[in-house]
Amino acid sequence: MRKKLVFISFVLLAAILLSGCTGAIAWPGLSATDEVAYLANTTAVYAVDLKNGNQLWSFSGERGGFSFFNTNPSLFVSTPVVTEDGLVIVLDSSNKHLIYAVDPNDVDSEEKTPKIEWKFSDADGLWIAQPLVVENRLFAPNSDGNVYVLDLTNGNLIEAVQVARSSEEEARLWGQPVTDGERVFVTTLDKSVIAIDVESYEVLWHEDIGGAVPGGAVLGSDGMLYVGSLAKQLERFDPATGAHTPVLDTNGWIWGTPIANGDNLYFGDVEGYFYSYNTKEQKLNFEPAQPDAAITASPLVIGEQVLVATESGDVYSFSADGAMEVWYQLEGKGKAYTTPVSAGGFVLVAYLESDYYLVALDEDGDEKWTFAGK
Amino acid sequence: MKNTGNQARAQQPELPRINPRETFKWLAVIGILFLAFTNFGVVVNFVVNVLILIYRFTYESFGVAIILLTVLIKLVTWPLNAQQNKLMKAQQEFQNDKEWLNIQKKYAKDREKLAAEQMRLYRERGINPLGGCLPMLIQFPILFALIPAITYAIGSTPLSILNLSKSLYEFQNVASLVPLNSTFLGTDLGLPERTLILGFSIPVLALTAAVTTYLQTKLTMPPSTGGANDQAAATSKMMSIYMPVMFYFICVNYAAGLSLYFVASNILSIAQYAIQGRTNWRNLIPGRQKS
Repeated sequence: MRKKLVFISFVLLAAILLSGCTGAIAWPGLSATDEVAYLANTTAVYAVDLKNGNQLWSFSGERGGFSFFNTNPSLFVSTPVVTEDGLVIVLDSSNKHLIYAVDPNDVDSEEKTPKIEWKFSDADGLWIAQPLVVENRLFAPNSDGNVYVLDLTNGNLIEAVQVARSSEEEARLWGQPVTDGERVFVTTLDKSVIAIDVESYEVLWHEDIGGAVPGGAVLGSDGMLYVGSLAKQLERFDPATGAHTPVLDTNGWIWGTPIANGDNLYFGDVEGYFYSYNTKEQKLNFEPAQPDAAITASPLVIGEQVLVATESGDVYSFSADGAMEVWYQLEGKGKAYTTPVSAGGFVLVAYLESDYYLVALDEDGDEKWTFAGK
Repeated sequence: MKNTGNQARAQQPELPRINPRETFKWLAVIGILFLAFTNFGVVVNFVVNVLILIYRFTYESFGVAIILLTVLIKLVTWPLNAQQNKLMKAQQEFQNDKEWLNIQKKYAKDREKLAAEQMRLYRERGINPLGGCLPMLIQFPILFALIPAITYAIGSTPLSILNLSKSLYEFQNVASLVPLNSTFLGTDLGLPERTLILGFSIPVLALTAAVTTYLQTKLTMPPSTGGANDQAAATSKMMSIYMPVMFYFICVNYAAGLSLYFVASNILSIAQYAIQGRTNWRNLIPGRQKS
């Protein structure tokens, strides 16, 4: 008996160590203003000064509760949103299912944490998707199949739009919505694309496609809606009717939201291919190029070049004719799954499983500062 | 001189004789363990694939799939556990063997002689003191792989789905699986579980894992018989306290799917012991430990 108990203890401890259970369970979310970067990185949201990479404040959710039973850590992975009023919307992706609006201009000098202006707790599912701000409203898709429309001034619920066709059907919403001013388009992991009237919140159409859509949709210069999915296809939708057709087969899953720039759409797949698709001519601008690893992040357009961060941690640049070069090579370990952000004259790249959370690069891809959190 | 040499050899503790069959078994187990741990990712992927296959056959319920996987592992390892239990029982009985108790008294101050006599008695009773280790060791790779496999397979966050796509064999067609249904009885098995009770956020599954661990250790605790076995009983008693605490802290911080696995595994272990007639139900009553 004693041997068996010692054995079980040993197995448990060794298994925990071997399994890497303490590793990250999601990649970071990153957004920025001209002066501050906001990084949602597992246990906290960090505000980082773009001038020097110093931490301004961090937010780990509300504290309190009896710690033995109430050790319920918050999880921050959804990309924070900065409103016109200067509030930062952060989403707790743990099973607390909370949205906070924090005021970065009202930071506790001792705790170095911002004041909570309001919070929203009515959702039942995980917050994965980045919300969309439309005028003074927040459209926040949740994994419970609802898009919660909140009043940005106080967090009050204006409408919970159920996008699933029935209460039995599920609709896990992971991608950021997009709007053409009249409709809000929502994608689901349950293989569908939905249009919601931006004023009446009525579901205008609900179309099924061949694969799950972990990213969002994008509006092309032709006024059409484009969606990439795990069915390895790029589909074009008529925003008014939802009529859709596949326009491109890809080599792997399309994870990140495609980016529109002029007549071109840029996106990658998890097999590591980068695509440049011309919506006007309805063809690829050049043969898909393959950097060194999976691409889950959306590309970033900087002037004439398109930057693509890959799972290897490196950043590649592509020219209009498809010429590829390594723009930034990560030294050491790290995975770049998060879409890079351009702000304050820097390109910001967030890393998972790295010595630092965030790297700021100048226009030549030279490292200016790193942020490792506190 | 010759006689003196023989006498000296006779005083040496008698070492266990080399048994070619046992040696082969040990080498085979060491070889399997070496292969498994140098290719640990392969073992984890295998377990993930088995779990996903079960998930497909259980109307896509991860909770049911985890429970069935636990049952499957218990069934596969049943002969090994039965062999291990048999050996442990024989060793427990040996502790109360009259001849062994007399020898312990006789050679209390001569450790070498005591060890030699113990080995002699082991041989006479057909007990292999290391025999219980083999069934344990052979299970290591699967047990080690279970924890990452459960956390990988429950794709409730983007990273877990991406990792899952790398773990699954081609025939599994991951794209058709997504989204995975990680909810079981209202709980997302991919995250640490908390249930709101009277305004408190209570980790019900982690507490259940701790309670079932306590029950398992109590019910399978060896009977206290006095003498040398008291030490074993004292150790077991201590384990019955710290094991549930350890399980609680592991479960409270990791995916609820892991807690569900521990709960199912504990209940099945109790059932296995009950079937073998080795559960001491009296141990659950304070002050009524079976002797």
